[in-house]
Amino acid sequence: MTKKRKAVVVWVCVILALLVGVFLTSPQGEKQESIKEVMRDAVMHDVNQISLFGVTDVNAGLISGVIVTSALLIVAALIRVFFIPKFQYIPGKFQLVLEQIVGFFADFAKKNSPHRHRFLSVYIFCAGSYIFVGTLFELLGVQAITTSGRPITLPAPLSDINGAIALGCLSYLIVVSGGIVGNGAKGIGLALKDFSMPLSMSFRLFGALLSGVLVTELLYYYFVLSFGLPVVAGVLFTLLHALVQTYVLIMLTSSSYGEVSKPHKK
Amino acid sequence: MNVPLNIDLQQILLHLLNFSVLSLGLYLLLYKPVQDFMQKRADYYLGLKKQVEDQLKQAEELKQTYEKRLESVEAEAKQTREKALREANQAVDALLQSAQQQASRIISEAQKAAQREREKVLEEAQKEITSMVLEATEKILAQSASDTLDQFLYSVNKE
Repeated sequence: MTKKRKAVVVWVCVILALLVGVFLTSPQGEKQESIKEVMRDAVMHDVNQISLFGVTDVNAGLISGVIVTSALLIVAALIRVFFIPKFQYIPGKFQLVLEQIVGFFADFAKKNSPHRHRFLSVYIFCAGSYIFVGTLFELLGVQAITTSGRPITLPAPLSDINGAIALGCLSYLIVVSGGIVGNGAKGIGLALKDFSMPLSMSFRLFGALLSGVLVTELLYYYFVLSFGLPVVAGVLFTLLHALVQTYVLIMLTSSSYGEVSKPHKK
Repeated sequence: MNVPLNIDLQQILLHLLNFSVLSLGLYLLLYKPVQDFMQKRADYYLGLKKQVEDQLKQAEELKQTYEKRLESVEAEAKQTREKALREANQAVDALLQSAQQQASRIISEAQKAAQREREKVLEEAQKEITSMVLEATEKILAQSASDTLDQFLYSVNKE
């Protein structure tokens, strides 16, 4: 038997031993919630609430949002202090990545709203970053303690219906503001034609993010499903819908903004 | 009021506040500096491009100026060449004419000299011939006189 094969056999034996250990020590009987309660709470967010700095009790999604915002701002500050002053005209790899990201959003806004795009590009950059990083945040499995003393895994910020409504309505307000700046009172009329937009945007975001949460909850709730399968169903699906939801929101906002801010001939 | 899906206005506002803080921070810390740098670089390369275009334009103008100057210099050179050629032709003609005149004068003088020489030779020859004829006549006369006398005397004797 070669050394390589021996190593593989040892590795497999270790995995099997660990699996046996996990099964033998499994606290299956100690689940505090049924799958029905877990699913219901993922949708309703009315059971597992977390205290926000002791001021008020909020849904776990809001805590995730605050953590994501803090993390993004810290990373942005570090980049601002340590990397941006060292930018070169011929960019390095990290500078190139940053420029590509910023350039992507700027070009996207310019392409969809050629007449007025500066503010839009900033908005879609921030919204895109928030949705993408926020969705990937659920992969980290950050734990928090609820007001009832139970530990829970923090979900994506936008899997909270309130977060999705906030972003959907804000996007709609941005579109309306583009209409007002571009076409005055007529622009409001143009934007109000799509009155269902905030609702559709909010629930699209919520539905998409919630589906990820439900699948992940389901996988981790049942012990036998939580080996191997989450790698595909959790990680890959989360990555995929992080990208898709980011693209959908910025695309819808940009195209609507471009449509209402386009100067209309009298 | 029982709001479906546990929608809470306070939490919506908190989400909005959270996102506003994030937007402001990301804009000031990341988006604007990177955009400014990209704009600065774009301006730099646009400036370079403009500079190169200006230099190319200047070079083109300079080229045109030199081409015009070259054309005028060529025309001037052509004129100068033609003038020089004309002058050279005139000089050659003049030289040829003077040479011809000189040649005809030399020939004429030579002819005259030859004529004079001929006349002189002829005169001398005539003189010589005359003297030779005289001499010969004298000799002949001298001989013929003795012979005639002898013959006369012989014929006299015979008779």
